Amino acid sequence: MVDVGTAVMTVEMIQASQVGLKAVGAGLAVGLTGVGTGLAEMGIGAAAVGATAENRDMFGLALIFTVIPETIVIFGLVVALLLLF
Amino acid sequence: MSRLLIAGTKEQMGAVIAELYRHRLFHIEDFVGQEEYSGFRLGMPLEGATEASNDLITIRAATNAFGIQGDGTPRGRPISAAELRRQIQTELPGLDAQADELVTRRTRLETRAKDLETRIAEIEPFAALGIDLDLYRGYESIAVLAGHIPADVAIAAPHEKVFSSGKRGGFIAVFTPVTERDAVERQLLDAGFVAARIPDETGSPADAIARYRAELESIGKEIEGINRQLANLKEIHASFLLAADELLTAEVEQAEAPLRFAVTDLAFVAEGWVPTSEVPTVREALERVTNGRIHIEELEVDYDHEVVPVEYNNPSFAHPTELFMDVYSRPNYREIDPTLLVSIVFPIFFGIILGDVGYGLVLLALSFLARRFFGSEGWTLLLDNLRNASVSSIIFGLVYSEFFGFALPWRPLVFSRHLNIGGEAHGHGPDAASMLIIAIWIGILHITLGRVISIVNHSRMSHGSHRTKAIIAQTGWLAFMWGLLIVIWSIFPIPFMPDLTKLGGVVALGLGPAGIAGIVLILYGVIAIAQENALEVVELPTIVSHVLSYARLVAVGLSSVAIAMVVNYIALGMFINPSLENLTPVGIVLIVVGIVVLLFGHVLNTALGILGGGLHSIRLHYVEFFTKFYKGGGLKYHPFGMKRLYTTEE
Repeated sequence: MVDVGTAVMTVEMIQASQVGLKAVGAGLAVGLTGVGTGLAEMGIGAAAVGATAENRDMFGLALIFTVIPETIVIFGLVVALLLLF
Repeated sequence: MSRLLIAGTKEQMGAVIAELYRHRLFHIEDFVGQEEYSGFRLGMPLEGATEASNDLITIRAATNAFGIQGDGTPRGRPISAAELRRQIQTELPGLDAQADELVTRRTRLETRAKDLETRIAEIEPFAALGIDLDLYRGYESIAVLAGHIPADVAIAAPHEKVFSSGKRGGFIAVFTPVTERDAVERQLLDAGFVAARIPDETGSPADAIARYRAELESIGKEIEGINRQLANLKEIHASFLLAADELLTAEVEQAEAPLRFAVTDLAFVAEGWVPTSEVPTVREALERVTNGRIHIEELEVDYDHEVVPVEYNNPSFAHPTELFMDVYSRPNYREIDPTLLVSIVFPIFFGIILGDVGYGLVLLALSFLARRFFGSEGWTLLLDNLRNASVSSIIFGLVYSEFFGFALPWRPLVFSRHLNIGGEAHGHGPDAASMLIIAIWIGILHITLGRVISIVNHSRMSHGSHRTKAIIAQTGWLAFMWGLLIVIWSIFPIPFMPDLTKLGGVVALGLGPAGIAGIVLILYGVIAIAQENALEVVELPTIVSHVLSYARLVAVGLSSVAIAMVVNYIALGMFINPSLENLTPVGIVLIVVGIVVLLFGHVLNTALGILGGGLHSIRLHYVEFFTKFYKGGGLKYHPFGMKRLYTTEE
């Protein structure tokens, strides 16, 4: 028996909210790692543009340095994919 | 590469230089006063260097004035040097003067136009007040204050004012007795007044503006005329100027070559590098032009310590990838050149990420169309890479069964990347986990390959005890990685990977025999790495992060599929299809909106696809693969000479 005044949670509702929370988790995984990557690339990118302005040959190396923190957001993306599928 | 020493008398120097220049094989080693050359000094430029330089400067000035850009493609038939030399003598002075005169006139007109624009901007606010401009000036007892002010203001002093309001605040002119000037000005300033200069003009402001506008227009036309003239001259003389530039550059380079040689009063010595297979060619050619009166010697080379220039030796298929290698660093003379490997693996990675027939076709078309606009050598190589990558993208698109995010009429051959987006969701969604595991496998194998190449490199390049240590350290890295994998496999069963959990019973530490073997490998790895350099142990976590980094092959690809499918769903599912069912005027607008969304979305996703597919693939090579074995830092082989595009040899 269910007490009066207590919300009734069916199994379907619990499952639905679990799916919702998974989606929230996936969103957080991509979003927060994106912020992290952005913060990391902020400094590198500024320095890389400066170096490239001084010497055009630096472009390739600068690009590599700039994309190194990209790994963080990729991990976020992987976690999100694993959560969703 | 072989190191050649060429010595001869000074009379031969001109002929030798011309011959070396023609063959474009000799990489000159600059003479910097080495010890073994005591008694030698730097050479002086050949005769005619100054004249050629002067002509070259004139030509470059004209080329700049006309805005001519040599894009590396020959225009029409190359002309002979003798013919060109005559043209330079007769045509160049006149052409240069003409260009100079036109450019000077244009600059003068542009300055005048700027001046007029400032004046118009100055007068414009006064036009709204409607008072003749000479009434603002020439008073003895009255002060005039004019300027911008946010809103009209009441002034507590004897004055007369005119105010006009405009979109960006108002404009006010206040006439007040000189004695009240300070008080009025203070009140105005309190109200946010910014003084403006009273223009030095007479008559109505509107007339003055109209007069200046008319002049501005005629100047504009004149500038246009000059630009047309310049364009005409450019059309006529472009090929001549480019050819002359080429000829004179060649002349100046040859004339200045002795600056890199060692000379005495009567003789000269040049050192440089020639590809070993070409040594006989150079030797014969030089002996022919000097009738054998020259000394050519092949020097001993210590390939480990000398800086040897490096030229790629790849099949033509791998040639475009040399661009990516040079961006990172040219290979060292003694190490394995991974260009061929990159040229095979890069397109495959690109295809795995952007496996879509539609995008592949768009990029393939782009790689051919863009050639018309970007003809330079670097661009051609880049577009060749794009071509290879897009072909691979089409192949993987067929495997994945994708066309702009839609499914092709067959099921994906290996793994499905189709997401359940929109109302028509069916199927079980993408095989994300399986694909991630395959991506990890690719990472494991790629990194193992990198370490193996490193072992080969070390066995070739290092010496003595360092060689053994370095090779053991490399096996240590491999042992650590595979040991870690075996331990993981012995604890968790993972699909597509060996399942070692059921192997034997528990031996120790709760691990089976496989797990113990893994631990042993890990311990060996740590010791092997530490014996070369203990600090390297800090780098151990990168083994995990580098392998996991290959997950991007799937993750970036899936996000690109997701964007494509979302665009399709918004455009077709939300705008176009519902409107088509029940056609109304509003529905037609919605269809147009849907088409715009579709086009814009896919253009954006194509751009992201190039960036995602290209940047991530090359980054996996640069950061995860090359760091395992690649040293680079090779000197580019830069032979003395020039590829003639516009002129022929004499």
